[in-house]
Amino acid sequence: MTVLLTLFFKELRSFFYSPVAYIVLAMVMVINGFSFRGAIAALESGPQQGSLVSYTFTSPWFWWSYFFVFPLLTMRLFSEERKLGTWETLFTAPVHTWQVIAGKYLAAVFFYCLLWAPSLLNFFVFQWMTASAADIPTGALYSTYLLIFFMGLFNLAVGCFTSSLTSNQIVAAVMSFTISLLHFVVGIFALYLGRRLPEALIDIVHYITTKEHLELFASGLMDTRPLVYYGVVALLFLTFTHYVLEFRRWRV
Amino acid sequence: MIEVTNLSKHYVGRTAVDNLTFSVEPGEVVGFLGPNGAGKSTTMRILAGYLPPSAGSAKVNGFDTFKQSIQARRSVGYMPENAPLYLDMRVKEYLHFRGALKGLSGRELRRRTGEVMEGCQLDDVRRKIIGNLSKGFRQRVALADALLGRPPLLILDEPTNGLDPNQIRHIRQLLHAFKSRQTILLSTHILSEIEASCDRILLLHHGKLRANDTPQNLVRKLRVASDVHVELTGGKDHATLLAQINGVRKVTEDKADSPWLRFTLRVEARADIRESLFDMALKNKWQVRELHRELPRLEDVFVELTMSDH
Repeated sequence: MTVLLTLFFKELRSFFYSPVAYIVLAMVMVINGFSFRGAIAALESGPQQGSLVSYTFTSPWFWWSYFFVFPLLTMRLFSEERKLGTWETLFTAPVHTWQVIAGKYLAAVFFYCLLWAPSLLNFFVFQWMTASAADIPTGALYSTYLLIFFMGLFNLAVGCFTSSLTSNQIVAAVMSFTISLLHFVVGIFALYLGRRLPEALIDIVHYITTKEHLELFASGLMDTRPLVYYGVVALLFLTFTHYVLEFRRWRV
Repeated sequence: MIEVTNLSKHYVGRTAVDNLTFSVEPGEVVGFLGPNGAGKSTTMRILAGYLPPSAGSAKVNGFDTFKQSIQARRSVGYMPENAPLYLDMRVKEYLHFRGALKGLSGRELRRRTGEVMEGCQLDDVRRKIIGNLSKGFRQRVALADALLGRPPLLILDEPTNGLDPNQIRHIRQLLHAFKSRQTILLSTHILSEIEASCDRILLLHHGKLRANDTPQNLVRKLRVASDVHVELTGGKDHATLLAQINGVRKVTEDKADSPWLRFTLRVEARADIRESLFDMALKNKWQVRELHRELPRLEDVFVELTMSDH
């Protein structure tokens, strides 16, 4: 347990030492700011069906900030160790591989949560400053953030996996970005193609479509199925990461 | 402390380590010697638990490095070649982190970190960022890291690589202090280092163990050529005549003050030509002012044993 915590804090410290973290933080805050402003503009034009929450999270601005975060946070995690050669010192210490993975992954998740905290504040500041000019459905708000957390778990696990595959950070970043994007795009394409695809396939696609998940949650419907889906696939990718690392070490 | 039995490590297309068998007793200081690419680093990595063997077994402190990896790793303090370190951490922070990984905590951790920093003369740079340190200091940080858990076995891969003579001497003294308490396996190219510190030498070449003995025995047992230096004057055709002495392999002329001439004779192993040379000098009426035999050194052993493939 101590080993896990040691690795966690060390990785977290590394995050804060690197300039990338602050750039990502600033970028996410700016983009979320725009997205929030866009939502307010939509409500300004007249009474709408959606709420502030649903407009904020279905705006295209939101998706821009979403995809770039994951590669930037995870590309460094395992690639750098391999490149520096510190892999050797790490694995000649009495630590288990799963402890290393968990420590790094949890540090990335923790930082990811920090990234989204300011945007949550947007809503509360708005309420306080405008004396609740618009109704914010708090249920939808919290459930959306819960979904974002789980989506983060999934994408960060993908990032860890790609980072463990290579010693080159850029390659890891590009691979992670591609997988995340492909996962997102599959959903959209299938929905657009609609009737031309077989029924069963459409059902599966509905299960995994991120955009749809977010729309549902932002309107206030909290479905545990996407949460389970993201959680399980995150575990899957972490297991893949473990295999990759163990294979590299025990290559006989 | 170390028991290696029929250890092999194969990579695609080449064999890095070929059927190695040796053992190291607790408290010994053993030197790993060999040309680059001989398999020293690979063997050390296997012993440290970083690589698995392709065949055979390696046991450290009674634990198999593959099957009981965590226990084996707890018994080893390993310093890899080129001292890889996290460049964005400070020295004290890094040692703290490593100590925690090795199972130390709390007051014990703080005390031990202080001890190794003092021992490796890192007190002045404790707050410096490792990326800003010179190579010498980085090596010392890596060495301090290896010493942290007070492991019964130290495996050091070229610990004095790139250090200046002062630093080398300091590290040698440091290792000497640990001699009785810990077993040390170190690899180096500096032969004087080995002669000074090591109880035993393991010489590797192309993955095979070529020698496993004390430095003195190696020099004595092996059939290694020696040099005889002679300064003389008078007469002529010295080189031709000297070459005719039984046992002389080669004659080279060196610089000397005229009219004296200085020759170095490469002599076959175990042959002592000094008497024959003196007789020859008497016969030809040469005047001799120096006749000196240089005993073979470890470097000669090294070259002799590894010359075959170069």
